[in-house]
Amino acid sequence: MARDDTEFVEFARAASGRLVHAAFLMTGDRHEAEDAAQTALARTYASWSRIRGDDAYRYARSVLVNHLVDRWRRPIREYPTEELPEQRDDDVADAVATRRWLFAILGTLSPRERAIVVLRYYFDLPEAQVAHELGVSVGTVKSTSSRALEKLRGVGAGAPRVHGTRR
Amino acid sequence: MNEADRLREAMRVTESTDQGMLDLAAVVREGRRLRRRRRLAGAGAAGLVLAVAVAVPVALRPGGPPPQRPADAMTTASVAAPTATPTAGPTTGTPVSPGGTDRKPTGAVVSSGIRYGAQERVFYFVPVDVPSVPRVKIGLVAGRRDTDGRLTPDVLINDVAGRDRHEGFHEIGYDQQGERQFVPPVPTFGYFVGPAMRIVGTVDGRQVNAELARWSADPRVVIFWFDPTTLAPGVRLDGILAYDKRGARL
Repeated sequence: MARDDTEFVEFARAASGRLVHAAFLMTGDRHEAEDAAQTALARTYASWSRIRGDDAYRYARSVLVNHLVDRWRRPIREYPTEELPEQRDDDVADAVATRRWLFAILGTLSPRERAIVVLRYYFDLPEAQVAHELGVSVGTVKSTSSRALEKLRGVGAGAPRVHGTRR
Repeated sequence: MNEADRLREAMRVTESTDQGMLDLAAVVREGRRLRRRRRLAGAGAAGLVLAVAVAVPVALRPGGPPPQRPADAMTTASVAAPTATPTAGPTTGTPVSPGGTDRKPTGAVVSSGIRYGAQERVFYFVPVDVPSVPRVKIGLVAGRRDTDGRLTPDVLINDVAGRDRHEGFHEIGYDQQGERQFVPPVPTFGYFVGPAMRIVGTVDGRQVNAELARWSADPRVVIFWFDPTTLAPGVRLDGILAYDKRGARL
């Protein structure tokens, strides 16, 4: 394997988990999410000599999100409950409740709104960066984020207690 | 914890089951294939690898065949022409002044500002007659105009199903010439029906703005093309979106 390929595979291993999860948040479908992440990483590989280093993750993320916004036309699907990690019963119940709550909120948003929410709150990007990556105005990002939080308040009565830590 | 924090935390805490599922060997194979395709496209050989196109381009020549369905599509552009590097410029619509083409434009010929020596890239609609698709009556031509107003068509795209005025995007035309360039590279082009004020293409995560012009014969129709200095002719778009004057997606 060429040195470039080794570098890329290391990068892809490190980035794939978050990319797949971001795609899952946008689609609600694990298989679609994996396909989208593979597509984004393949395009990243194709441009690797140009974007390796600091830009690679941003590039892959941008390709992924725009790919899904452009392609995803169907409403978000039911949240899946399979493949939960081994945990205590209480933890499993909490994880199921959290996932159900999260997808109830995301399911009310359009694909572009979901992309904004995922970039803003999952990747923790500033509004200007979200606007840049999606090619929309900062005002659109602000108003969409605000609408999403408004919807969240609307279903907040059923919100689970979220706990656990980021790995 | 406020709503934003709860949303943030919920997204992260559901992350744990999504790790390590990708086939990275397949990713590298697909990446290599994409890289090869880009190199070919960059070398002007996009047609070799983009033969299975979404669009249905039909090359025209004076006295040439009518538009055809995909199975019959031809790419037999036979017009030799100067191949100066295209440059971008202002966009204007001009009155029809057909010259050496057998198909008269319907509505105004749109100037792109892209020049090839003395010629200019233009776009215009022509009447078409597609067998078994009676509601497709127009096709969009990417052609060149000489200083005397004579038009030379390079590529025609037309719908091959449904109707030619349905809301939204229609077929998109790409340069599909092989290694031998018979005509100057054709910019990626097409039309959208609706109140589009901005059209943005996506290619490999990069966003590219299209140039727009309304069709004089039907203001709902927006002709668009991508400046070849920002989107290389022949490179396929990954996606394309239209926005209205308020920035809302159409």
